[in-house]
This record gives sequence, C-alpha cells and structure tokens, in this order.
Amino acid sequence: MDIIRTKDLVFEDFIRYPDISIEKGKVVFLVGSSGSGKSTLLKLFNATLSPSSGAIFYEGKNIDEIDTLKLRQEVLLVGQSVYLFDGSIKDNFNRFYSYREMNMPNEEEIKYFLSICQLDFPLETQTSILSGGEAQRLYTSIFLSFLPKVIMLDEPTSALDANNAKSLLREIIKLAKTKDMTVIVVSHDKSLSDEFAEVIIDIEGSKTI
Amino acid sequence: MTNAGIVKLSIFQFSLIYLLLIVVLAIMKKANVNQTRLLVVASLRMTVQLTLAGFVLTYIFENPSPLFTSAYLLAMTLFAIHRALSKNKWLNKSFKWAVALSLAGSGLIILAFFVIVVVRVDFFNPQYTIPLSGMIMGNAMTGVNLGLKSFKDNFSSQRKRVETLLNLGVKPRKILLPFSQNALETALLPTLNNMVGMGIISLPGMMTGQILSGTPPTTAILYQIAIMIAIATVVCLATFSALNLGIRTLYNDRNQIDFIYGN
Repeated sequence: MDIIRTKDLVFEDFIRYPDISIEKGKVVFLVGSSGSGKSTLLKLFNATLSPSSGAIFYEGKNIDEIDTLKLRQEVLLVGQSVYLFDGSIKDNFNRFYSYREMNMPNEEEIKYFLSICQLDFPLETQTSILSGGEAQRLYTSIFLSFLPKVIMLDEPTSALDANNAKSLLREIIKLAKTKDMTVIVVSHDKSLSDEFAEVIIDIEGSKTI
Repeated sequence: MTNAGIVKLSIFQFSLIYLLLIVVLAIMKKANVNQTRLLVVASLRMTVQLTLAGFVLTYIFENPSPLFTSAYLLAMTLFAIHRALSKNKWLNKSFKWAVALSLAGSGLIILAFFVIVVVRVDFFNPQYTIPLSGMIMGNAMTGVNLGLKSFKDNFSSQRKRVETLLNLGVKPRKILLPFSQNALETALLPTLNNMVGMGIISLPGMMTGQILSGTPPTTAILYQIAIMIAIATVVCLATFSALNLGIRTLYNDRNQIDFIYGN
C-alpha cells in the first residue's frame, strides 16, 4: 500500500516533479542533482511548504484535507537545520516533548534512542560541548523517539564520517523495520543508497523548467 | 494651578542659551566627531518645530474647541504610528495594521482614563489632553519600537529553532510566543528602570517644568507619579497587543510560517 503519493506536483512554477509513490514500511532514497528539489519535496510532504499545483496524498487522503500539525507529527521531517536548546541532553528531550505536549520518555528509553544514533553520553551532558556530528545525531535521536509513521531524513549524515554514517543508518532502519516505519532519505552519499535503499526514486525526471 | 511667576525669557536672554552649542561644536571638532551638520540641523529643526508648536498651542488654548484638540490628537497619533512603522519596514501589511491599532487604541484608552477618571476635567480640555497625550503616545511609540525590534532580531536569528519546532508539528503561535514575551520584557525594562531611579538620579522633565512654572512640588510629584504609571501601562498594553495581534499575521491556515518577514 502506498503511504505517500504525488500527482502532477509543481513547486513555485520551476520545479516539476514526476509522479511518485512511496510504499509503506520501505526504505526509500530520493536522488537527484543539487537544486533538483529534494529537500523542497520533503517540505511539501509535511506541508511546511505548499505546491503551486498538483496534489500529495497521505494514506490515500489529499493532504490539503489533513490537519497540518497532525500530518507533521506523523510524517516527521528531520531537517538540515539542527537546533538544540541550551542545557543537557535530558533537558532537550524535556523541552521538545513539552512543546509537543507529551510526557517525556524515561531515562532508559532516552538512552535507547541515543544508542540507535551511536551516542553514548550521560544524559546530563551539556549540548554546548557536543561536536557538529554529535549534535546532529542527538537531534535525529530526539525526532526518532517520537516514533512517527514516516521519518524523513534530509542529509542525516552530512556531519559524519563514512563509518559512523553507515552504522547510524543501519540502526535507524533496524528500528524502523520493527515499528513498520517508512524511511525516506535524501543523501548525496551514493554508497549509502547502494547499501540501504530498497527503493531509489530519481526526481531528476523532474525537469527544471 | 498657581502661577507664582516664572521668569519670562526675553528673546535676548533666550538666545544666550545657544552659546552653549559652541561648546558642543568645539568638542566635536577636537574629538573628530563628524556630526557638525547634524548638530546644526537638529538645533534648527528643534527651534522651528517648537516655535510652530508654540504658536499652534497658543492658538488652541485661546480658542479651545473639541475640534482642535481632536485634530491635534489625531496628528500626534498618526505621527507616532508613522514613526513606528517606518522604523520596522519588515512588517507585513496586516502586522502594520496591528501595530497602528494597538498604538492608537492603547494610547487613547490610557489618555482617557488619565484625563477623565483621574484629573476629572473635560477630555477636550487642551491644557491637559495635549501635553499628556504627547507623553503617552511618545512613550508608547518608543516601547513598541523596542519590542518589535527585539522580536524581529529573535525571530530571524532563531530560524533553525522555528523550523525545527514547525517540523515537529508544534503550533506556530506556540513557537513564536517566547519571542514576543521576550520582546515585551525588552520594551518594558527602560520604563521600569526609569521609575527605579526617579527622584534620585533625575528630576523628570514634566515635574521640572511644572515646578519652574510655579506649581508646588507636592502637586508636581503627584502628576509625575501618575504619568509614569500611565506610561508603564501604555507601553505594556500597546506592545503586548501589537505583538499578539501581529504574530497571527506571520502564519497561514496551513500553519506555514513565512520567513520572508523574518529576514
């Protein structure tokens, strides 16, 4: 069953996307040269941007008819702008969960999600001392802990070396498979898509007009 | 009010004060501060503007009419709105309306309370309404300006935070609210700090003016305290209202935030 499908999607009159179907529970890589609109497509999927024409269907329903906040919580985008609050790792879980009006996961659960993202730090660690790569992984682990139906990762390994990048994706996909979570990845790293992609969608068929 | 006689300045006596500007000019030259032109322009403008205001006020006081008072009030309000808007060009159209309505509304409410409820004179009595509205509108404008500037600085420098929370499915209002709370604080602090030092560090302008013109200091302080409280209230009310109404103009029904305004 398709979880996301697009039809005649056009953004700002200059990016024209081919019609795309994404099957539920799959690991899907979006490829295409830079400027082809990969990140934009993810923002269209979670309705932080609107297409100038065409339609996107989530679970068979046009997303224009879905409450955008609920959509974003289910189709969760881990964007490229990493932001962490001042304070400790635990404080960050606390802040993000309170923004979502949810109870924070307990320490064991937090540690579990950190370990998926290859982070082995005490929860009291201040985020200000984390390196760029560590901050990015913490950011990803916080998003992952919300266990969305679809997780969209925009260049999730941009601040990581090749080995770390592979183990990170391997663990995320392992988790996704146990939760029937769909994973959509945008990455420039071809070795990642070669190893992990179940489906590769080339949006380059999208011609730039 | 008693007019126990202020020394009326003759034009000659008055013009002696301009000699002090020579001191400023000399220091500027010595210290290489290249603002001579501004000093001359500012002094001239001030002289001309206040002279005109003096004539207009004299006329209005000699021919009191609700029409003149209202016109003066309207002009002052429009000027305050114009200044606030021209200093915050990033505002979108609806946000501008929010600022304008908040300034005008808060200013009028506080002015009316002061003149009608506290002083208990006719609202259109120019002797009270005009100077008080000048202080109230002027301070409201400065407060709103400070608040908007702080809001914009936060909003544009924290774009990653806004995007992150938006992606998490948080309501835009909830995302923006901390910025407006912060801005309100920034807007209020100068007035509150001013109140703390009042009477010790400075004798405020209005009170000094009243004392110079022969008002007993005990009456002058009552007016000063009253106007300070009125100013604190109007700054708070106008800034709060401008930001709260304004925030709503930054996102649409699809909960999308337009970052163009934050750039």
